Amino acid sequence: MGKFVQLVVDGLSTGSIYGAIALAIVLVNQATGLINFAQGGMAVLAAYVAWWLTTHDVPLVLAILISILFSFVLGAVVERWLMRRFERGDPDTAVVVTIGLLTLITGICGWLWTYNNQQFPSLFPLGTVSVLGVSISIRSIGTTLVIIVAMLLLQGLFVGTKLGLALRAVAINPQSAAFSGLPVGRLLMVGWGLAAALGAVAGALVAPQLTLTPGMLDNALVYALAAVILGGLTSPIGVVVAAWIIGVLENLAAVYVDFIGFDLKVAVPFILIFVVLIVRPQGLFGRKVVVRV
Amino acid sequence: MASASAVWQRPWVRWAAVLVVLVVLFVAPLGLSEFTNQTLARIGVFAVAVLGLNVVMGYTGQVSLGQIFFLGFGAYVTAYGVTNDWNIVLTFALACLAPAVVGLLVALAAARLGGLAIAMVTIALPIVGVPLAKRLSDFTGGSEGTSTAFAKAPEWSGLFDDQWQLYLVLVIGGIVYLLTHNVVRGKYGRAFAIVKGNENVASSMGISPYRYKVLAFTIASLIGGVSGFLYMVVIQYTSPETMSFGHSINLVAAMVIGGSASIVGSILGGLYYVLVPQLTNAVDPSLTALLQGAILLVVLFVLPGGLVSLPRALTRGRRRSRAARGPAAPPTTPSSTTGSGTAAEQPETERQGHA
Repeated sequence: MGKFVQLVVDGLSTGSIYGAIALAIVLVNQATGLINFAQGGMAVLAAYVAWWLTTHDVPLVLAILISILFSFVLGAVVERWLMRRFERGDPDTAVVVTIGLLTLITGICGWLWTYNNQQFPSLFPLGTVSVLGVSISIRSIGTTLVIIVAMLLLQGLFVGTKLGLALRAVAINPQSAAFSGLPVGRLLMVGWGLAAALGAVAGALVAPQLTLTPGMLDNALVYALAAVILGGLTSPIGVVVAAWIIGVLENLAAVYVDFIGFDLKVAVPFILIFVVLIVRPQGLFGRKVVVRV
Repeated sequence: MASASAVWQRPWVRWAAVLVVLVVLFVAPLGLSEFTNQTLARIGVFAVAVLGLNVVMGYTGQVSLGQIFFLGFGAYVTAYGVTNDWNIVLTFALACLAPAVVGLLVALAAARLGGLAIAMVTIALPIVGVPLAKRLSDFTGGSEGTSTAFAKAPEWSGLFDDQWQLYLVLVIGGIVYLLTHNVVRGKYGRAFAIVKGNENVASSMGISPYRYKVLAFTIASLIGGVSGFLYMVVIQYTSPETMSFGHSINLVAAMVIGGSASIVGSILGGLYYVLVPQLTNAVDPSLTALLQGAILLVVLFVLPGGLVSLPRALTRGRRRSRAARGPAAPPTTPSSTTGSGTAAEQPETERQGHA
């Protein structure tokens, strides 16, 4: 029983990482209708920046904050100078652009910092705490808490601030938003910036566990996309819950289902997707979209 | 330029050109070095893989990030069949059919979501495929992979192995290209184009986007399986690394850079896939990924139609500069009003036919 609870808690913590990247994907999608496949790559670049700062004796927390800021700027710059040209065109082309961006960023990381694993210092102490007879690593708890805080901040931003209202307006109808005097272009840049900043948080949280490599988040990106499909592209809470479900289920399947084991657990979300697709094509929390010709 | 394209329009010129290319292709391997033949054969293998990707992505507009999985699958089936002494024709058939069946199943689920969901689901294929190949070590040889040198030149031919392999690639690949050419120019191709253009319009015309997306994806998987068979013919070794995520992305890049929805573009894509990493490796191996990403983005910015649209873009640029120089050159030459101008004036759908 203790093992089971532990697996669930660890699953929630890794699920939170997928959730953060999935939230970033949803944020960009809501604003522009695109799926950004480079989201994980941008997060890795941010993690490298934070790591590079720590090797130059910058305190870890400060380094992570700087990398979040760097990511925000990077996201805004990418939107303004790269994506804007493709945003209102063919979505397939835009997706290929983000794939090119992923290759480019991975290449930049590999070129600047080699493809070798780098040790990223952990934000949380390595110890464990014992809760009801289950030992849970402080890192798991910390990761989950940080992601929950980030999610609540994001939710607060969208619901409680003028900026959030404007972002949502742009997302729903960019043309009407422009007619009502909103600076649509600048808001799109902010949307991309926020998404990248969120990715940076995820990168800094996951890097100590996976050790830093240019392809570190490739698998996490896959989980995040799975969470986005399961949760439905329109629901931020849905994708986080889906990410948690995926994190927990894959952990349990890895231990309790012999064939899956640790190396094949990446297949779990997709088995889940196939099951869900047959039952609920619009995703667990998504709404059915009715199209008029 | 206009007169050149007018000559090109005559059927016998085209047939003669095809004949010349065929003769060159079948004579050249005899005179070329082993290394050149092997490189050409590799280009052929990936040109077939890119062609498959083009069917689903270029012609039908469904981003697939999993094409390399079908290549790897086809290669494994081939390797398994050869090591167990199955009949080679049966092995080939299975290497095509097994990936097609898996592709069908994937598409049946993924195409239900529509939009970009196919991209999001297919990204899982290489990512799940690699550990799966490692796990099923009884069939795949695990992490070490399997190697089989079955495509040796038979005695009666008097050829070297590399020549024989190149001929196999040319014949099988050529047939695949011919069949695909017919599919994308025929009624299925038109349905694909309508689905790509606007799914709602397609369904209002009685064309089921779902059915055609599934069909395109299945054809793409089948062609991927063929390229996997050819991969074993030429490279003779496969491991889980064959279908890694990075390779899958490079295949997409190769397709876009060569030219989406274009037969010639697929061949250019194969050239890009094989030659550019060799070049960048010669410059600096640690720069390969960076350069590939940069090349992809530059092509998308400058030549959205891929390399295959380069001549057309140049013609357009030249004509524009000529028109800017003076009114002496009319913007529409007689040849283009009779419909034999460059493809720039022709509707998008006709591009397929000229490629």
